Amino acid sequence: MNYPVWYLPEIGGSTLIALIAIVHVFVSHFAVGGGLYLVLAERKGVREQNPDILAFTRGHSKFFLLVTMVFGGLTGVGIWFIISLVQPAGTSLLIHNFVFGWATEWVFFLVEIVALFCYFYTFDRMERRTHLVIGWIYFISAWFSLFLINGIIGFMLTPGGWLADGDFWSGFFNPSFWPSLVFRTFVAAMMAGLFAYLTCAWQKNTDLKFAMTRFSGKWVLIALAGAVPSGFWYLSQLPQPARTLVDGASPTIARALDWGLYSVIAILLISLVFTIIMPALHNRLVAFVVLACGLLLMGSFEWTREAARRPYVVNEVMYSNGIYKGAGDDINRQGFLSSARWVRIREFHEESLLEIGQDLFKHQCHACHTVGGMNNDIIARTANFSYPAMLSYLETIHQRRYFMPPFIGTPEEMRALATWIITGLHGKPAEAASAPASVNGEGPGAQLFADNCVFCHDSGLIKAKTIGWSLEQVRSALDKLSSLNPAMPDYAGSSSEKDLLAAFVFSLNASGSTVPMAKEDAGESVFEAHCAMCHSLAEGYNPVLPKISGWDRERIRTALDMLEKLQPAMPPLVASDQEKDDLTAFLYEKSQGGQP
Amino acid sequence: MNPLIPTPDTIPVAWGWFEFLLLLTLPLHLLCMNMLLGFSGISLYSRLRGDDASRRLAFELARVLPFLVAFTVNFGVAPLLFNQVLYGQFLYVSSILMAAFWLAVIPLLIFAYYSIYLYDFRFRSLGRAGAIFIGLALLAIVLIAFIFTNNMSLALEPVRWTAYFRNASGTLLNLGDPTLFPRFLHFVVGGFAIGGLAVAVFARFWRQRDSQVAELASRIGMQTFTYLTMAQVLLGMWFLMSLPREIMLLFMGRNMLATVVFVVALVLTVVVLVTGLRRKIGLTAGLAFVLLFLMAVLRDLARIAYHAPFFRAETLQVVPQYSPMVMFFVTLIAGLICIGWMIRQVLVSVKNV
Repeated sequence: MNYPVWYLPEIGGSTLIALIAIVHVFVSHFAVGGGLYLVLAERKGVREQNPDILAFTRGHSKFFLLVTMVFGGLTGVGIWFIISLVQPAGTSLLIHNFVFGWATEWVFFLVEIVALFCYFYTFDRMERRTHLVIGWIYFISAWFSLFLINGIIGFMLTPGGWLADGDFWSGFFNPSFWPSLVFRTFVAAMMAGLFAYLTCAWQKNTDLKFAMTRFSGKWVLIALAGAVPSGFWYLSQLPQPARTLVDGASPTIARALDWGLYSVIAILLISLVFTIIMPALHNRLVAFVVLACGLLLMGSFEWTREAARRPYVVNEVMYSNGIYKGAGDDINRQGFLSSARWVRIREFHEESLLEIGQDLFKHQCHACHTVGGMNNDIIARTANFSYPAMLSYLETIHQRRYFMPPFIGTPEEMRALATWIITGLHGKPAEAASAPASVNGEGPGAQLFADNCVFCHDSGLIKAKTIGWSLEQVRSALDKLSSLNPAMPDYAGSSSEKDLLAAFVFSLNASGSTVPMAKEDAGESVFEAHCAMCHSLAEGYNPVLPKISGWDRERIRTALDMLEKLQPAMPPLVASDQEKDDLTAFLYEKSQGGQP
Repeated sequence: MNPLIPTPDTIPVAWGWFEFLLLLTLPLHLLCMNMLLGFSGISLYSRLRGDDASRRLAFELARVLPFLVAFTVNFGVAPLLFNQVLYGQFLYVSSILMAAFWLAVIPLLIFAYYSIYLYDFRFRSLGRAGAIFIGLALLAIVLIAFIFTNNMSLALEPVRWTAYFRNASGTLLNLGDPTLFPRFLHFVVGGFAIGGLAVAVFARFWRQRDSQVAELASRIGMQTFTYLTMAQVLLGMWFLMSLPREIMLLFMGRNMLATVVFVVALVLTVVVLVTGLRRKIGLTAGLAFVLLFLMAVLRDLARIAYHAPFFRAETLQVVPQYSPMVMFFVTLIAGLICIGWMIRQVLVSVKNV
């Protein structure tokens, strides 16, 4: 609100940040670990009096220079550019609070550059001991760059004592500082080994290739052995809301962690087989595959770290959309339009609801949501909403979904945002009187359903999902929603409200109910309720059908009882036997190419 | 007060420290940037000429180019940081308004850097095709300079920011600003001039190894410097006249400091022209370096004047905490000592070879 918003409806600035950050972090960890690798590889060559190893190290240092100094250095500046374009308020906060942290990091960057140039250009032309000292200077300054940036990045997730005293050092040595530093140091060593696989794969001298492939393999495995426990140490330091998100409440984090797990396993296996046990099998393809796994691991970690911070850009201080948490109450009183600088209309009036709504979207939602794009598409996410449901959702958005920041502004402004989404994007009427289309039924229970449930599932879907349930079953489910599905928030209503809501849900399947079942096929409903958040059916993200191609009914049905054993990242399917049977029938029919 | 200017954040030490650090580091960036322009330009020119001495000169210059890119970037980081501390509320906004172009600086720079490495490492095998790579790299660098000129000038004039409400997609430029082109030419032509002078300075290092190349470098470098400096005097006048009248007048007597610095700079320009024409390379280079600092000061005075109606850095709120600055200065000194030691080791090893 203090700054203009770069409006890229279909791309979204956060996508650009993620792209640049992930490739940079991948290379920058190599820039740290690779420095140590060069020094130790050179020392190995000197101790073994092996000119081949020295030639290898020299060749690798050229590759290292071209990858880290050019690509790594410039994408690092690229992150600074992109965050100041997409998160200017957050960037300004970091720059102003930690300016001398950044400035000190710049000194290390300078020493790094000079050291690396000296190291590369004097290889074999300088007295060996002095050359090694210059290699050490490079590594130490690169590691101190990591040390400094680690403090500032950690501050964003766990500001710790800074919240109370605003002190540089409290923010810098924050609760996640040490675990993150240890973890990143091990990851840097691992990246050094992974990138060295590439140089190894290009060697023609077989003895040298074996020796250096094994040497690099040991780097990766030792680093991995350190990275895994320090990664858990890091996760254990996360503050509570972030922990819940990481533990499963955020489907995107769960997905990222899955990918991280796969890549760790792949790196471990490939390193064991192709570099330690049978280095003869190591080749360029293997090197690229394992490097891609390294990129995936880095991406998974960065995604998790960034996503776990939501709804904040600096935890408990500033929301992802650049609004200070502490300013919320004032803005709610005065209105967003009159508090913000970069909106087209500064005073609320009914004639400009859509323009105001769009500006509010830009300033409060666009930091994470695209309009019709790949990432968090607002159109897809709000397809089921009616206008009253949208309004009701916006009122309590942060309570319902912790990782979404609260709407900040007056009720009228909220109405403008809801109007822009419902009418502007979906072309539906924005009338307060229009009944929520997706709730059939009347009475207090129906109202509670409309206020709390309809954002994610309409009454038809719930009807299909609760076929055969007793009233008691429905009522007890309302006490433990998050354990039924980690992505579902618990219902915070009182006990009597839960009774009313349970009665309503139960009535959906009572004889005489006029509520139509959401789908003709009960199995499809079960799929949508339990599987669709992580799986598509046939194409798109993580499709299910290719996985069960050729399976018979029996095998599908058995698998549904043991999902967590088939795939540790998958939660068990919490559904009745009838639902599992329905889902089996649906999946089997689909896998046969027929309609259920 | 312009309602679009964001509220600035607080700063940890008095503003003067940042102004000092900004004025200390910016000329280093300008120097490297100028050398990058001059070395690439003269290397391209020499590569295109047929004779053998020119080819050897092109190669000598090519070998220096990767260092120049690295240090231009590194010495650019520090002033950009200190600029954001003092003037972030202007710079973030102008950057967002032209975000697509501003972000394009990064891929352009990566492209230029790799082209330069290719040109250097494959100089012989590429043959004259190398001219394509250094030519494209130079084009990318000049484009980056144009993007920077747009951003830095847009940051000066909040009245132009309302264009955002017609186009929020980050594809604005500051083409409507009458100072844009003279400013751009002033920086780029001046850059080539100083770069040419630097080539002449470097000629001394090559004298023992290849006196023909050294003589050529010295001649082309000084010619570039003197002719472009003459053009620069005219461009500078155009730039001055294009400034808003109140700001121009500050340098013409209305403000003592601005006028003195301006007159000294002008006199110094004439002096370096004369010493340049007489091919006193060392003296010219020393004076030109001083001139570069004066130009950075002039630039800063103009910025202060532009911002005067809305903002003065003195008004930034200070929430004092000096210990991190101590850490910075201690690290800086240690870093410089370390760099000095490394360079000495390199020189020793070069002598021994």
